Amino acid sequence: MEIKQTALAGTLESSDIQIMLSQGEKGIHFDLTSDVKKQFGEDIMATIQSVLQAYDIENVLVKVVDKGALTPVIKARAIAVAQRALDLKDEPNWEVL
Amino acid sequence: MVEKIRDLYLFSKASKKQWMAFLEEQGVVDFDQAEVQPIDQTLGLYDEQDQLVGTGSIAGQVIKYIAVSHAGEEHPGSRFNQIVSALESDLAEKGCFHLFVFTKATYQEAFEHIGFRTLAKTAVGLILEKGTPNIEQYRASLPKKPVDAGQTAAIVMNANPFTKGHRYLIEQAAQENDWVMVFVVNQDVSLFKTTERMAMVQKGSEDIANVVVANGGDYMVSYLLFPAYFIDDRDQAIRFQTALDAELFKQQIAEPLGLSARYIGTEPTSHTTALYNQQLKKILPPQVAVKEVPRLSQDGQAISARTVRQALKDQQLSSLADLLPETTLDFIKTNQEAIMERIAKGQQIHGN
Amino acid sequence: MAADERLRRTMMFVPGNNPGLIKDAGIFGVDSIMFDLEDAVNMNEKDAARYLVYEALQTFDYGDAELVVRINGLDTPFYENDIKAMVKAGIDVIRLPKTESADMIHELENLVEAAEKEFGREVGSTHLMAAIESAMGVVNAYQIASASKRMIGIALSAEDYTTDMKTHRYPDGQELLYARNVILHAARAAKIAAFDTVFTNLDDEEGFIRETKLIHQLGFDGKSIINPRQVAPVNRVFAPSRKEIQNAQNVMAAIEEAKQKGSGVIAMNGQMVDRPVVMRAERVMKLAKANNLIDAEGNDIEE
Repeated sequence: MEIKQTALAGTLESSDIQIMLSQGEKGIHFDLTSDVKKQFGEDIMATIQSVLQAYDIENVLVKVVDKGALTPVIKARAIAVAQRALDLKDEPNWEVL
Repeated sequence: MVEKIRDLYLFSKASKKQWMAFLEEQGVVDFDQAEVQPIDQTLGLYDEQDQLVGTGSIAGQVIKYIAVSHAGEEHPGSRFNQIVSALESDLAEKGCFHLFVFTKATYQEAFEHIGFRTLAKTAVGLILEKGTPNIEQYRASLPKKPVDAGQTAAIVMNANPFTKGHRYLIEQAAQENDWVMVFVVNQDVSLFKTTERMAMVQKGSEDIANVVVANGGDYMVSYLLFPAYFIDDRDQAIRFQTALDAELFKQQIAEPLGLSARYIGTEPTSHTTALYNQQLKKILPPQVAVKEVPRLSQDGQAISARTVRQALKDQQLSSLADLLPETTLDFIKTNQEAIMERIAKGQQIHGN
Repeated sequence: MAADERLRRTMMFVPGNNPGLIKDAGIFGVDSIMFDLEDAVNMNEKDAARYLVYEALQTFDYGDAELVVRINGLDTPFYENDIKAMVKAGIDVIRLPKTESADMIHELENLVEAAEKEFGREVGSTHLMAAIESAMGVVNAYQIASASKRMIGIALSAEDYTTDMKTHRYPDGQELLYARNVILHAARAAKIAAFDTVFTNLDDEEGFIRETKLIHQLGFDGKSIINPRQVAPVNRVFAPSRKEIQNAQNVMAAIEEAKQKGSGVIAMNGQMVDRPVVMRAERVMKLAKANNLIDAEGNDIEE
């Protein structure tokens, strides 16, 4: 599935993560900025990827600025940004939670 | 523990005074109307005692007047990040996901740390961007240079409106090069709208085979719109703005696209434009050659778009035939009413 | 609601969209953590805060703290989704802001029950509490407090209340005296907990302690707090005195003795020990333990 609009969720504050989804070429492409990219970059991307898959989002550009977010925070922000990008801000997908 | 972001309304005199006093404490002293007036939104960060400890503003898609105090800050950078983050969220809510910042070299790292990318840098300051569509996406959207093109050139123009002078500059470049790319400034602040200026340039050059016209996007702005509030000396500010524009053109446009020269017209009257040309000549070579073409004259007077706008304002339409190519004349005749209405409504004819 | 005697001395407000504060909320030893989806969250971030609190509740360890979520009011477009998400997350208590009538609690209860069924939660497992923030809320306090068997408490929220009363907060708290007493009576009559409002000036520790002593004296279960720095002062105010502890220890000993003798009547110093006395003693023991004044067996800890 394609996203309907560019969307942003999360903040640049400590322990948070900012995720932006925009229209992309084939596949899920990441652009990750993080102080802990070496140690946790793969985990961060895997967490986001699994949320995107749950929403059937296949082609998207994912720009991420991580400020030391833990997994539940990453997951929550990924859900928020996916819902926004699909123009479903006010219609939570209870299956994904 | 929790510092709160609130809107700071600059139209309230008391708020503005507090805002200026805070910025002055942080070393920002230039509150020139040209810098402050374009601000769309200002945020304040307040600590637990409701003291202003940080601020940032948005003008269009440009972050301006960002400053924080570090006294009592939880960890270094947290206030700065909180403000930038809030500005980004507010912009995103309005459907804008692409923003710029012009700042001092000392802040480069702070911005890069939160996902900004440096586009161009001078000794005084730099320009960074974040979001989408970014410079790579812009470059990818441009017409491709033919593989067999050897000598190539670029021209940047506002074409407000497209004159015989612009046409002459394009002709010169087209004769001396295999391929010419004309960038039309995208900012919609002129008497003639961007779509109209694009159409006039396209129409006025369509008979020349090796010329393509492209929208300058967010990257070939009128350099006068570059914020320079963090520089207190006005002349130095212009020098910074023009140098940054030149660097941006060189590093992000000419070199990646393989454009070997930039054509400019001589500048007989405007001090600022003359200064800009000087900077281009200083910064672009040797990688990108600068070709300065003497302006086309009519009765000993260099043709300028400003003269055309003045004539329109004075309703001296008969004088336009000498200054404008047929294509532009046709356009003006067809749209005379709308243009006159804009002038009557107070659209500035000065500037670019 | 059957009187549940858990300690509720401190209920700490945690902004619902702040990951840093949410992840650390369990380390300060507060009795209740209240995640705020309402005033602390911008309109544009209501969705994001809801997911954040949801995921936090699935993952982070908040120990024995009672977990409360302040949802958005029923006049907002966020109300129903807040309820669903929090019920699905298995929150202990949903706090309704700006409660003015028993009907508002009934409406909330219906939605909570529907969500419990939808998400396979045990019906009745989600508790409720109400924040009283207006004159109307104070006038209807008992109806609100007794509106549902899910109710575990009511709280005074003084910022909105004083605005509604055309006043503001003063250091001596005279303007809140009536509301505090009404809310307290409503809570006691309905056998649920009473929470006092927040004290926002973190620099005025003396004022904070003075106010906490006052509401402790009145009989409140505890105070709403906005910063971990406020935990210790509240707990000190709520700590039982040495004499109270000794008395409670004696009651406990008397109960134990009666149990061993197989006697149905508990007596102490020739007096019968009735139920209120037992409950009071149990509460003192709990407070003493929470303040590390006695150990798990009820014995004194040497200072």
